[in-house]
Amino acid sequence: MSSKSDSKRLHSAAWRISLWATLAFALGTLLVFAGLHQFVANDIQRRSDAWLSGEVGTLGDVAERTPKDRLYHRVVGEVAELASREVPNRSRNQGKENDSVFFLQAAPTGPAKLWVGAGDGEANLAAIRAQKVVPDVPFHLNVKGFPKPFRVVASPINDGSFIYLGLSERDELRVLRNLRTRFLWLGLLIVLFGFGIVFYTTRRMLGHVREITEAASRIGESDLSRRVPTTGQNDEIGQLSRTLNRMLDRIENSVHQLHTITDSLAHDLRSPLTAIRGKLEMSLSEAGADPEAEPMIVSAIEELDRLTEFLNTSLDVAEARADALRLTRTEIDLDEVMRVMMDLYEPCMSEHGLRMQLRSGGAVKVFADAALVHRAVANLLDNELKHLPASCTVTIGLQAENEAAVVTVEDDGPGFAAEVKNAMFQQRVKGRNSSGHGLGLAFVEAVARAHGGTVMASNRAEGGARLVITLPCVQESQERSGQAVAAEIG
Amino acid sequence: MQSMAYALFMRLLLVEDELEIQDFLKTSLADEGYEVDVAGDGGTAEKFASAKVYDALIVDLGLPDQDGIDLILRLRRQGVSSPVMILSARRSVDDRVAGLEQGGDDYLTKPFALAELLARLRNLLKRNAATSSSPMTLQVADLELDLLRRRASRGGELLNLSPQEFVLLEYLCRHAGRVVTRSMLLAEVWGMRIQPDTNVVDVHIYRLRGKVDVEGREPLIKTLRGVGYVLKER
Repeated sequence: MSSKSDSKRLHSAAWRISLWATLAFALGTLLVFAGLHQFVANDIQRRSDAWLSGEVGTLGDVAERTPKDRLYHRVVGEVAELASREVPNRSRNQGKENDSVFFLQAAPTGPAKLWVGAGDGEANLAAIRAQKVVPDVPFHLNVKGFPKPFRVVASPINDGSFIYLGLSERDELRVLRNLRTRFLWLGLLIVLFGFGIVFYTTRRMLGHVREITEAASRIGESDLSRRVPTTGQNDEIGQLSRTLNRMLDRIENSVHQLHTITDSLAHDLRSPLTAIRGKLEMSLSEAGADPEAEPMIVSAIEELDRLTEFLNTSLDVAEARADALRLTRTEIDLDEVMRVMMDLYEPCMSEHGLRMQLRSGGAVKVFADAALVHRAVANLLDNELKHLPASCTVTIGLQAENEAAVVTVEDDGPGFAAEVKNAMFQQRVKGRNSSGHGLGLAFVEAVARAHGGTVMASNRAEGGARLVITLPCVQESQERSGQAVAAEIG
Repeated sequence: MQSMAYALFMRLLLVEDELEIQDFLKTSLADEGYEVDVAGDGGTAEKFASAKVYDALIVDLGLPDQDGIDLILRLRRQGVSSPVMILSARRSVDDRVAGLEQGGDDYLTKPFALAELLARLRNLLKRNAATSSSPMTLQVADLELDLLRRRASRGGELLNLSPQEFVLLEYLCRHAGRVVTRSMLLAEVWGMRIQPDTNVVDVHIYRLRGKVDVEGREPLIKTLRGVGYVLKER
């Protein structure tokens, strides 16, 4: 019926599952990367720090041992220059000027004693002096004029001054940036790929579920011999369809048994009823001479007919309750049915002092069992005839609403009694003054149910009873199959 | 009985396994003047049908040795073309029965009114015998129906009938002298197989009678209690 919206819903279920799975996957990957990133960053810094500590020790040593003469600058400067060439993580395509390393010797106050590096070192010295320095512990240093911070280690030497060795974190940051960029692309690729796989699999799975749902809904309607498709795999879906099919086997079996029981019950009761009725009728034609016997025989026949009707209706109601009512569906126009019903019942109604009117908006076609629909409507009108006080009006309404035919039978009589109102559609519930067998409304409900419709009973606000029967209208596919059936019979 | 002359020389085959029903059907059919052979099962029925030609067959669907429909289909294949009245104790009408019904046969659900069976049987036989010579007028006593202009008159006096009342009267006239039951009227005049437990049909007949059987004229429409109605034989 609503396979379009079903597929949409299932589609979005697959979509939702994939989204959540992907989100979890992406988060997990991100966490792993964060850990990895942290580890790599730490490792790089550890290496830098180890290099810095080693070099600053060497330079300190050289600075202490070298006499403070005019060669001092050259010796220490060259050692520092040499050391800077062995910088870890250094990129090869760097320009000639080596701005990634600086060497500074300075006392706590006064100008720098020695400077090796890019620029004049004033900014570096100012930055160092602005910071609290612990000897031999590497620290970060932001220097004005340099976009990237330096990693600096300080070491005191015997003349009371400090030597500082600084290494730009530029290369370290570049390595980490490369790592991040690569991970971003790779991670995105993996996540997309994962999303694709999850989406495809869930869609396939839910596709099976959808097939099962569609097949199951078709089975419910009328044909119990159909089965849901099986995937042939032993997974959850396969088990689901096999379980459903086993359940359907059992249901079909029960319904079949119910049919057998009702059929044989009907048959076993009908045959003697037929014989009795036949004999009564024969004795009626022979009893022409005996006027005293005739009324008794006639009333016996009438009672027998009521018994038969009761039997038929009981079995119909029982079958419909079990969703096992057998229908011979054809396309019928309810408007036409209602007009004939009006025609049939109007004289009798007016004989009872009742008015009858029909409000119909034209043809409303349903694919239904004509005999059952006729009987259901006749049942309602018989009810009105039996229960309505004189000078009331019975109104039959017919209209098509949201692909459903809505038949309304209402009156302006006393309405339903409170005692029956709640149990109206149950078998054998009837008002105190009712002469019927109490199956009328139960039968109407059974018929509506068997056709996939509903019945609602209520008292009108302005007084009187209202019964609303809803039956699904003819769909195009049904129309086609109905025509096909008609063509086969014709 | 009234229609004895009509039924004369009609030969029927009754296929029914229930002895009680077999019994009273045979008796009442014989009373009606039919010549009846009785078969208790499908095998016997086939033997009978291949030996003699019957004007009509009455077949119960629940036979001990086979399904009634299969029997009918087999007989049809063997060239038996007589109309068939199907008796069924089944709850719902099988599609195949519906198919057969379109082929000119008829069916009744058990229990049925004997009068209805006889009436329908006569229809079946008449339908089979008489061809499509449909008259333009129908006449019963001094009642005359003009089928073209849809007008009815009694002794030359025009009756003021509604179109629906005309259809009802036409049906009664076509079956003049024969019993028509309420369910026959419901099925044939209104096209409904319903069994109302109110007197809806009776009221139609009362009204029609009020217009047709006017003062000073012989009453034509008679009620047979517990059975139905009959319009005086022409």
